Amino acid sequence: MTTAEVAAVPRQQAGDRYALWLRTVDHKDVGILYLLTGVAFFVIGGLEALVLRLQLAAPRQGVVDPHLYDQLFTMHGTTMVFLVMVPLLIGFANYLVPLMIGASDVAFPRLNALSFWLTLFGGLLLYFSFVAGGAPDAGWFSYAPLAERAGSATSGVDYYILGLGVAGAGTIIGAINLLVTIALLRCPGMTFGRLPLFVWMVLVTSVLILGAYPAFSAALVMLFLDRHLGAHFFDGAGGDPLLWQHVFWFFGHPEVYIMALPAFGIISEVVPVFSGKRIFGYRFMAGSAVAIAFLSFSVWAHHMFAVGLSTAENIFFAVSSMLIAVPTGVKIFNWLATMWGGRIRFTVAMLFAVGFIAMFLIGGLTGVTLAVVPIDWQVTDSYYVVAHLHYVLFGGTMFALFAGAYYWWPKMTGRFLSERLGRAHFWGTFIGFNLTFLPMHWLGVQGMPRRVYTYPAGVGWEGSNLAATIGALVLGLATLVFLFNAARSLRGAPSAPADPWDAWTLEWATTSPPPTHNFEAAPAVRSARPLWDRKHPDLPDR
Amino acid sequence: MRPSAEAIADLALVVGAIALGIFLLVTGVLLATMWRYRLRPGAPEPRQIAGDLRLEIGWTVAPLLALAAVFVLMLGTMREIGASLPIAADTDRIPLRVTVVAHQFWWEYRFDGGAVAANELHIPVGVPVELDLVAADVIHDFWVPALAGKSDIVPGKTNHLRLFARQPGTYEGACAEFCGVQHAWMRLVVFAEPEPEFDRWLAVQGAARQAPAGEAARGEQVFLRNVCVSCHALRGTGAAGNGAAPDLTHVGGRTTIGTGVLRNDAAAMRAWLADPQRYKPGSAMPLVRLDPGDLDALVAYMESLH
Amino acid sequence: MIAHRAGTPSFFGEKHVLAMCVFIASESIFFLSVIAIYLAYRQATLGTARANLDVTRTFLFSLLLFSSSATMALAARSPGPRGRRWLLVTAGLGAVFLGGQVSEYVRLLAGGIRPSSDLFGTTFFTLTGLHGVHVLVGLVAIVAVAAVSWLRGDAVRPTAWESVSLYWHFVDAVWVVVFTTVYLGTFV
Repeated sequence: MTTAEVAAVPRQQAGDRYALWLRTVDHKDVGILYLLTGVAFFVIGGLEALVLRLQLAAPRQGVVDPHLYDQLFTMHGTTMVFLVMVPLLIGFANYLVPLMIGASDVAFPRLNALSFWLTLFGGLLLYFSFVAGGAPDAGWFSYAPLAERAGSATSGVDYYILGLGVAGAGTIIGAINLLVTIALLRCPGMTFGRLPLFVWMVLVTSVLILGAYPAFSAALVMLFLDRHLGAHFFDGAGGDPLLWQHVFWFFGHPEVYIMALPAFGIISEVVPVFSGKRIFGYRFMAGSAVAIAFLSFSVWAHHMFAVGLSTAENIFFAVSSMLIAVPTGVKIFNWLATMWGGRIRFTVAMLFAVGFIAMFLIGGLTGVTLAVVPIDWQVTDSYYVVAHLHYVLFGGTMFALFAGAYYWWPKMTGRFLSERLGRAHFWGTFIGFNLTFLPMHWLGVQGMPRRVYTYPAGVGWEGSNLAATIGALVLGLATLVFLFNAARSLRGAPSAPADPWDAWTLEWATTSPPPTHNFEAAPAVRSARPLWDRKHPDLPDR
Repeated sequence: MRPSAEAIADLALVVGAIALGIFLLVTGVLLATMWRYRLRPGAPEPRQIAGDLRLEIGWTVAPLLALAAVFVLMLGTMREIGASLPIAADTDRIPLRVTVVAHQFWWEYRFDGGAVAANELHIPVGVPVELDLVAADVIHDFWVPALAGKSDIVPGKTNHLRLFARQPGTYEGACAEFCGVQHAWMRLVVFAEPEPEFDRWLAVQGAARQAPAGEAARGEQVFLRNVCVSCHALRGTGAAGNGAAPDLTHVGGRTTIGTGVLRNDAAAMRAWLADPQRYKPGSAMPLVRLDPGDLDALVAYMESLH
Repeated sequence: MIAHRAGTPSFFGEKHVLAMCVFIASESIFFLSVIAIYLAYRQATLGTARANLDVTRTFLFSLLLFSSSATMALAARSPGPRGRRWLLVTAGLGAVFLGGQVSEYVRLLAGGIRPSSDLFGTTFFTLTGLHGVHVLVGLVAIVAVAAVSWLRGDAVRPTAWESVSLYWHFVDAVWVVVFTTVYLGTFV
């Protein structure tokens, strides 16, 4: 069934409506399916994290038993990376890229739906492990030989391999689709120098996915053979466990930027619009992402400074990891320069964007400290790393995703989110986030290893852990406010005009929500801000 | 010579100060921008500026310079830590060598000369100690933050770490690489003590158990009669173990039971032996049903093994 | 369907062809990862490889696979009944190559070499097996294109021929690298 037919069917019966969602190949519907999937798994992964925090609120608690704790932290990390952040970002990309480049759909709509269903099926396969004898319990990076059969006897790791293999195939197909879409379906005048920065980031991210995910697939195949055919790739008896780490992080570090670059893209759309100024240093924003992408393939062993690499290897990876801070810094400075001299409207989307800049800055700076080899020898595998990665992925990516949610919600639903509830959501998230993760830096410095299900009393870790648990509860409440806000808005009547934020990119040139074929008339553009040109004929962008 | 942890702490302070400075500067500018350019009635339409090449160059080069400084500092610290391997440059002491075998979920220490200890490491103050780190099963990590940075312990590979304590004291640490269900109770403790004291400790660890008397002697029979001996070695009794469980020859002299999970005293030992899975679920130590009299005797025996 | 397209139509300007090229690029990363692992264990596996691999025989089968690239090129040049015949020749050559691989496996397994026996078995069966799976997928795709083209009276888009042809050349090129690494590597 084509998308036109889907739209033509009167949406009366609920059953029909669900069937439409199952059959749809419209990029906007697929995008929304991705987003809903990401939100659902965000709630699940968040609840898992809450259980972890309750267990760690005080020393020697028995909220969950140790083996369940291991499954929960493994599933929390795996879920948030593969089933929350990647689907949410691909969901935004799916929805927005064709609109932003003035196309009617992605290059391969049916393949696009397949990508989504593979991702969802992979996620369900992963979660099926809970009822099939036990979830994976070797951490989200499944270090061998702990992840070999001798180290992890349940079938959990097998579901990790199969689930992530299937979801990863969906992600690879999705990246091919987005890349071809951006390469071939741009509307007249939409040169690469005029692509919205979000589209630029999606383009670079697609390349990263295509460069990184296949290595992960290969590693998963080899781990599977180790577990089921008795192969010896990573078993420590002949095979070298460090090879797993090399291949995993060759994928794993680009994966961090796969989660970060589209977030940068969102911020680069939100900050200019609400500052009333065009993005500062467009070329440098696009170029720095390309630089980050290149560098991200040469930094993987900074996850391995403690494994006993040679001094030369340590120094090489320290230098490449430090260098990646430079293009990242360029981005932060350009966002600041965009705001400088502007007329800043502090909508909830802008609050989250500003929060992103500050939180991501902290994550970036602690990242540099971790690139300094001797410092890494002290704090790697401690709670300092837990703090660092959450400042990057939550303070960074999740804040950006929330900014994007408030910004594009009217476009996707034709309705507004309440700004008042949104501000409560923002401040709850901001305070809860920092209360949870700021003390973790100190816990790591004090010597608390990550991934412990409990800890002894009297070593000075009680206060910080309790604060972190309280913060996690605040975060949970703030998320409830967001979900309530969303539900309330969806029950209300459509009220959003085509361009509620006085924005400039093509998605705002069509109705909210857009019609099936996106644009009534095929758009043509003369600059990166076609709507600006239309609103300011006297002062068009060059 | 100083503990490498001190060198790292110095480096971390400088790098941390630089990072904090950058953080304050950037957030300061961010907050000032937010305040100064907030939407106010009558604010003019902002000027649309595409960019500024000089600024771009500036904020590319400035971080590069800061990073170059950090890099040079890092090399200095790595040199200092690395120079102390494998022989101490500025002490005339022959370093003490210890082989550390990391097991799920306990530590084994083997000294030249045959002394074997489990879970608690004693080192002499002022003498560099070279650790050869090997893993018995999965990846572990040796981390005593107050003495040195950490090193992973990888199956099929021997890693090296140097400990050097300037002050006598108890230095706590832990396994820092997730190694399975009882990773949390793979605690580490290093006692740094004056050399004569250390020598006495080492001599004890090298010796067979002291022959027990009274109830403890009965306890030894309980020990030898039960499955304990299939895993645990106890030198002097003929129990050789299988290498997968801690040597118990001097278990009474240790401060904790179960690699940190319980403080070692008679009551705790009794509770532990009665139901180890209650305190360390998932460890290899099984529940062995003993009648109360045997249990008391076994506890007395364990506590007598100093 | 494509309402408007920036740039001029070219080889990469066709979406199926571009998608296939991008897919092949990602597949290259997949194979490079496995080959990297093979090379990482080369020292440990070289002795067993030298003692057990039949380089000459596999070389002869490899020639069949290499020549199937030429027949594939002929097939892609003339989508139609003529090209269909070349497609079937290509599939035949690929199938014989796979048969050669299977017989090699049978011989090695009979000699006690299996994925679990040692690092050679582990890496050899994985690398050549993953390649074999790709050959099989290529065979299925070729037969599918030939069958659809026959059933629908040649109404298969030329881009489908083009895409399958690209994929087949890629599978062939991977074998050049794998054969060099695994078989010719025993001489170095």
